[in-house]
Amino acid sequence: MSENQKKVLEMLADKKISVDEAYRLLDALKTEGAAAEGAGEAGRTGKPKPKYLRVCVIPIRGHEHGEGHGHDEDDEDDEDDKGAALVNVRVPMSLIRSGMKFTSLLPDGARDKVTDALHEKGINLDMRNMKPEDLEEIIEALSDLEIKVVNKKEVVKVFVE
Amino acid sequence: MKRPPVLMRVQIRGEERKFCLWLPLFLLVPLVILLLIILSPVILIAATIVRKRGCGRRVSPVARTSLGILCSVRGIRAAFDVLCSMPGLRIDVCNNKERVYVSII
Repeated sequence: MSENQKKVLEMLADKKISVDEAYRLLDALKTEGAAAEGAGEAGRTGKPKPKYLRVCVIPIRGHEHGEGHGHDEDDEDDEDDKGAALVNVRVPMSLIRSGMKFTSLLPDGARDKVTDALHEKGINLDMRNMKPEDLEEIIEALSDLEIKVVNKKEVVKVFVE
Repeated sequence: MKRPPVLMRVQIRGEERKFCLWLPLFLLVPLVILLLIILSPVILIAATIVRKRGCGRRVSPVARTSLGILCSVRGIRAAFDVLCSMPGLRIDVCNNKERVYVSII
């Protein structure tokens, strides 16, 4: 019990305030305490809420303009050497959340088939029991997501900001 | 609070051509909503028929109609949610010859 809460109870005992006023004061103290705890925890974890999902494909220098390979007629890689594309996509997280809500519109039969197909691939995601809290948890977990794939021609990055 | 998108910018730049368009979505969205309201009876009937076929079991006409209405309302609500989440979407694809840029504000 905090000092402020003790003071409120003492004032109630001394009949300086009514029961209603004491209840309101204790409620206000509880709300303040919860807000302070939340802010403290956010400060401790330092994790801002993810806002955007970014997908970037960056061509490696030398492959940007089709360089790095000769332009021989017999060269099988001519098609690939037309120049790797630079791709930069930014998707708001709220769009992903809203898109996931479409799962509630799926008919039961289709939802079961999707769940079974996911299970076959080793993904234990049950579309039937998906709740908004689970979705928020997935999106929060995405804040740590960073995928980087490097090959000879390009670098593919998927991350959250 | 989420709001529908206001503007859409489309930019296509090629070797020989350049194209830039600013679409005022704040004018188009009310038109689409009006169109949906006008077409709502058709949508409800279609949803009821589709629901009837998808049920696979006997249900009363009242339940069938209610389910159809519910699906339509939920679908429209979900579509509106998606629309309101679009501001901030940006797609930029370019290679040595062309660039395509789409941004929703």
